[in-house]
Amino acid sequence: MSTIKTLSVKEPKVATKKRKLAPSGSALAALPWIGPALILILAVVIWPVIELIRASLTEISNAGSFHGFTGLTNFRDLIANPDLKPVIIRTLIWVAAIVFFTVILSLPLAQLINQKFPGRKFVRWALIVPWAASVVMTSLIWKWILNAYSGELNLTLDQLGLIKEPVDWMGDPKTSFYFLIWVAVFVSIPFTTFVLLAGLQSVPHDILEAAWVDGATSWQTYRRIIFPLLRSSLLIATIINLINVFNSFPIIWVMTKGGPGYDTDTTTTFAYKLAFIESNMGQSTALGVINFLFILIIVGFYLRVTKATRTEL
Amino acid sequence: MKKLSARRVATVAAIGLTLGLVGATAPARAADITIKVLTPNYTDNMAAYYADLEKRFMADNPGIKVEHENVSWDEILVKGRTLISTKSYPDILNLNTFSEFAAEDLLYKASDLFDTNVLSDFVTAFRNNSKYNGVEYAVPDLASARMFFYNKQVLYSSGVSKVPTTWAEVTAAAKKIKRKYPKIYPIALPLGPEEAQGEFQIWAGGNGGRYFDEATKKWVINSKANVNTLKFLTSLVKAKLTQPNPAATNRTDAFKLFSQGKVAMINASVFFPSTLKDYKSKVDYGIAPFPHAPGKSSITLGVQDYFMAFKKPGNQDAVKKYLNFLYSPSNYAAFLKACGGFIPATKSASAAVDSSLLPFIKELPKAIFYPGTLGAWGTVAGAITTQIGGGVTKNPKKVLDAIQAKAVKAGVK
Repeated sequence: MSTIKTLSVKEPKVATKKRKLAPSGSALAALPWIGPALILILAVVIWPVIELIRASLTEISNAGSFHGFTGLTNFRDLIANPDLKPVIIRTLIWVAAIVFFTVILSLPLAQLINQKFPGRKFVRWALIVPWAASVVMTSLIWKWILNAYSGELNLTLDQLGLIKEPVDWMGDPKTSFYFLIWVAVFVSIPFTTFVLLAGLQSVPHDILEAAWVDGATSWQTYRRIIFPLLRSSLLIATIINLINVFNSFPIIWVMTKGGPGYDTDTTTTFAYKLAFIESNMGQSTALGVINFLFILIIVGFYLRVTKATRTEL
Repeated sequence: MKKLSARRVATVAAIGLTLGLVGATAPARAADITIKVLTPNYTDNMAAYYADLEKRFMADNPGIKVEHENVSWDEILVKGRTLISTKSYPDILNLNTFSEFAAEDLLYKASDLFDTNVLSDFVTAFRNNSKYNGVEYAVPDLASARMFFYNKQVLYSSGVSKVPTTWAEVTAAAKKIKRKYPKIYPIALPLGPEEAQGEFQIWAGGNGGRYFDEATKKWVINSKANVNTLKFLTSLVKAKLTQPNPAATNRTDAFKLFSQGKVAMINASVFFPSTLKDYKSKVDYGIAPFPHAPGKSSITLGVQDYFMAFKKPGNQDAVKKYLNFLYSPSNYAAFLKACGGFIPATKSASAAVDSSLLPFIKELPKAIFYPGTLGAWGTVAGAITTQIGGGVTKNPKKVLDAIQAKAVKAGVK
């Protein structure tokens, strides 16, 4: 009260008072503009998460009817499920392998398309294609290529005399998992390469010139100057890939349906199978919550990294 | 209830916002109703059949609009379950299982949809398979029986003089074929997710094995007969008498191999001849009863599919009209024709079947069926299709134990 009094006495300060009020006033005033987005976020992001967590604590029949709260029973059942452990281990291998190979292959590719050479524009476009094409389509094409009896790969190997009888690449989990990883790397490379390319293009030219004048070899320049400056784009590319790959559903579903058995399932396809093939909504929602927590951790890490790099810049 | 209605309001609001449809008005006439029909694609002729059927149906019933979706067999179960678990029920569904929905009290009784004289025209055995807790909740649309198909030329030229009737004869014939034609797989063993529950039941049935014991009302998936069956199949795989990776081979893949002459013996269904015709196959094939284990007798696997209608406020009259229209003699005959070579589900249509179906109909008295009247069957079948193929590369007993454990958990309701 006293402040208002003093403020009201001094005429010029009234303006300040108004300005001071302005932020909270404008937050309300902005509501019509941000409101729809806010509602959309609530409805599309927050609400499903709440529903997911709620569902994981209930017993729901496969026809969607509610049979009461069961506490952590679904989680206990899921942990007791003997198929879960191999799926989790496979998921970790899946994520680590794809992200690793994607980054390892993207680094030199980014370097390549950063050079000036005739046809560079074409190469850049060509590199985007696997990214622009639908993942389902890419997976289907690979599935056809790898088909045991009429696939292009076996026909070629057969004509070259390298195999005597058709090899069922996708039927044997020992080989199919590698091909799944390969396809995932194939579709992840374009994005990663272009993030790294952006990073390369932000390397200041004068530093490179200084290095050149000082007689640094190209490898020294890359190791001591370019690579450290690429670090932030590399981190961001890695983390976004982690999230993408972890959530990746179509490649596995189209090519092997996680089979045979659960031998090529990751937690994402396993959750889907639990729900819609084995009608086990409880365990599926529990796994959904665990998947969500995992992603949340990566996203938290991502936010920290982006914040750190921003302050660095 | 309060919670439910609040959720529904939220859903409507969310959908409305996203699509910009807030304030959409009610239908112009109160009598107007739209019914959703979801069916599997028995053959590629189904779309044309339903388009014609529904055009005539809507002309006869101006108050009813039909929205039809026809999807592949590969997808329909998952699609149906997804729709149902999200409570966006179709009005009419054509599927190979009904009991899981009947168990949730989602379906009309058959007697609510058809008059007694129409119902009594359905083949009695198929009607009995459409009951849940003794009440009919679905009607059969067609049925299939399965038999043993063999490539005559390959079999006889390999020195097999008699079509195998026992497991031992199958193994012996397969070895002869393998010796004569190293590039041909003697036996197809499709234990991939598409139809593994059927393939395994055929072999196990020939050894007296079942999934469910009707007498004791218990799951018997890991019974001795079933374990021995899986061991026998494993021996075929180990001897390289089957195509590689049975667990990843779907029935359709196996059909294609047979049609190209790359497989010599296969367990297949009554519609297989018409499939072979579609594939333009030149294979000269013979049909015989399934081989069986020593001391046991041959069986056939009977499978039937169902039409069912979901209870929704105000839709009873419309679904009743639709189903009766479909089952009127001429429309049902056209339905069977479009589906391609199945066994009819009505007595009147059975009287006029094609002679090529007769061997299959002859097998029907020894048919065994899935325990499809149990509410838990859908869940158990899912576990079988996913896991049983692993039994030929992993430990058969352990695989069957794992499925049995899931079945016991799913219950015997």
